[in-house]
Amino acid sequence: MDSRKILIVDDNADIRLGMHLRLKANQYQTFFAADAISGVAEAQKHQPDLIILDLGLPGGDGFSVMESLNKIPALATIPIVVVSARDVMGNQKRAFEAGARAFLQKPVNDDELLAVVRQALGEPAATKKPTLHDQASV
Amino acid sequence: MTETTRRPSELPAHLSHELRNALACIQQFGNILVDGLAGEMSSEQREYLGIMMENASKIRRLLDSALDGNVGPLGKSTNKIERISKLES
Repeated sequence: MDSRKILIVDDNADIRLGMHLRLKANQYQTFFAADAISGVAEAQKHQPDLIILDLGLPGGDGFSVMESLNKIPALATIPIVVVSARDVMGNQKRAFEAGARAFLQKPVNDDELLAVVRQALGEPAATKKPTLHDQASV
Repeated sequence: MTETTRRPSELPAHLSHELRNALACIQQFGNILVDGLAGEMSSEQREYLGIMMENASKIRRLLDSALDGNVGPLGKSTNKIERISKLES
C-alpha cells in the first residue's frame, strides 16, 4: 500500500525535521511548507491525505491557510490537525470553526500526535511506537 | 510587532509561545533518541538522556502552571486547561 502523504506547515525548521523523523518512522510520506502561502501551494501540488498546521506563520497564519484551503474544492476535505504553541483558549474554538479536526498545543507528545493523525486518517490505533529495530526490518 | 515594541501585557503569551516551541523541539528530538530512531545508545547515554527528558517535563509543568493562566490571582491553582482534541475515539 502506498504510504499516506502528510504536509507539515510550520515555520520552525527543527519542528518540521522532528515531525518528519517521527512520521517517516511510522511509514508516512512527508512534505513541508514554512509559511502560509507555500502551505496552500504545497497542498495543491501534493494533494496530501492530511495537513499538520501551525497557527503562527509568516505570510498569513494557520487560519488564513484553512480559509484558502476551504475555497478549493479538491483541498477542502483534507483533514487538518492544528499543532500550535498558541494558547488553547481563543484559538482552539476558532480552529475547529475553521475546519480543523484536532487542536494540539505544543509541546506535543509523539504518541498523542500519532494517535490523532491515525484517527484523522481513519487508520487503526498502533500498539507500539516503532524502534530502530522495526525500521531495520522493513 | 517587534521585540522592542511589544507591550508588557503581551509578554506572558509571547514568552509562553516561544518557550513552548523551544520545549517542543527538546522533547521531540529527545524522544527520537530515546526510541532509537537515530541509532543505538549506551545504557549510560540513555540514563543521562532520561534525566534531561524528566527535567524538560518539569519545565513544561511549570510553564503550564505559571504562564498559561492556570494560576489564580491569589496564587491558587485553577483548573488546568487540557489540550483537547475534537476527534472522538
